[in-house]
Amino acid sequence: MKTIHKILIKGSTLLAIAAIVVSCSSTKDTYVNATEVEEFKMEKSGAQMWGEACNRCHLAPSPADYNDTDWETIGLHMRIRANLTEKEITKIEAFLKSAN
Amino acid sequence: MKKLIILILIIGFGHTIYGQNYNDFDTDSTKTEAFKPSKSQFMIRGYGHTGLNSVSSDDETESSYVGSAFAPIFLFKHSDRLLFEAELEFVLEGNELEVGLEYANVMYVLNKNMTVRAGKFLLPFGTFMERLHPAWINRLPTKPLGFGHDGIAPSSGIGVELRGAFDLGGPKLNYSLYSTNGPRIKDGSVEPEEAGMLQFQNYEDNNNSKAFGGRIGLLPFADSSTEIGFSTYSTNKVGATDSQYENVGAFLYAFDFAFVKQFSGFGVIDIKGQYNNSKVDDATYTELDEFGNPEEYTFNNESNSFYTQLSYRPTTSESDFMKKLEFVGRYSNYNAPADAEWSGESEQYAFGLNYWLTWRSLIKVAYQTTDSVGGHDGGGTTNGFFVHWAIGF
Repeated sequence: MKTIHKILIKGSTLLAIAAIVVSCSSTKDTYVNATEVEEFKMEKSGAQMWGEACNRCHLAPSPADYNDTDWETIGLHMRIRANLTEKEITKIEAFLKSAN
Repeated sequence: MKKLIILILIIGFGHTIYGQNYNDFDTDSTKTEAFKPSKSQFMIRGYGHTGLNSVSSDDETESSYVGSAFAPIFLFKHSDRLLFEAELEFVLEGNELEVGLEYANVMYVLNKNMTVRAGKFLLPFGTFMERLHPAWINRLPTKPLGFGHDGIAPSSGIGVELRGAFDLGGPKLNYSLYSTNGPRIKDGSVEPEEAGMLQFQNYEDNNNSKAFGGRIGLLPFADSSTEIGFSTYSTNKVGATDSQYENVGAFLYAFDFAFVKQFSGFGVIDIKGQYNNSKVDDATYTELDEFGNPEEYTFNNESNSFYTQLSYRPTTSESDFMKKLEFVGRYSNYNAPADAEWSGESEQYAFGLNYWLTWRSLIKVAYQTTDSVGGHDGGGTTNGFFVHWAIGF
């Protein structure tokens, strides 16, 4: 068991270092709308991501149930709790704010 | 005197007229600035549920309205990166009100791929306890075997965690790495029949060894319909410092799977599953023989549990009533160590019919049958009928 524990600690450390290196190596701090980078590239809409990401755990929420400020708090909470990517939560939050 | 009365009347009416002019609603409202929300936000969310349980075993039947459970979640958004979350749980059980702190932690978004959090948090050991256990999310009124009281899967811990997600240009990868106080072992001095069980409520560490764990989840398809995950949880020491169990270690792992997809003309299919395995180092425990003399014994302390669940919502049906229905089936099993005092094998089937009132409120009707050999209650068949109403807010 001790060997497994050591392997796990070393593996976790390597994984943490890898995650730090990869995440810090990107110079892009915030998600940029795809149209600003490649206009011809088709990207998923926030509405589509809302249907896909939320339904992984629970039914997709009605945009009208919360105001813009609430969606910002809920968005930050769900980003962390559900391990959503920045791109997903940015687009989903924008959709919920536009549709409430 | 008349002049004085006239003067008072003039002043009185004049004051009123002036006052009305000054407080003109239209004029004032146009001067008011638009409402501007602050960056700091405090929010209460959460869930609750109540219902009727009717459970019958080989020799008795118990039927009871089960007390409402109320689980408020407090969210304090300090800034766009800093958030505090806490969940309390109030449950009526055994004629008593039980209050628990499910989790309380502070989280900070370091960058787009990385968040750190510290405090008491739900452990990403598989997905059930972290994401799916709240009553308004869990499609059945009960937890699968292997979770909850006497379960082998850890649900929460106190420590620090690094987590985040990467967009791989279609597929997505999420990860979590954490360190907690880790579990402590039941040595049998208080409950001899539970000697060798792990207890994950370790608010003050009983030794200096921390537990380390993590989960990696991969969503291989661009539509995020499928997720496969692998979790581990390991500790070098589960016994108290200077006790004979100090150097007993434990290693747990889990595989989880999820598939959720809307099929046009058919509806939504939701499949979830998780396999848990727990291995604790061999140790020597003491039990009393039939004459009351202490007797030492040991056993291979390995347990496992598994569940899989399938649910279907006919969301494309033409009937509004049918659209709100959900059909659920779940299989789960749990195998405790064969030679432990708490040895046992259980197998459970659960079937449910849900009616969704809104996206966060549903009525669940379920039937569940469990076959056990050994265990706390000696085994046998237990059948349960449940009607629950759950709401998230």
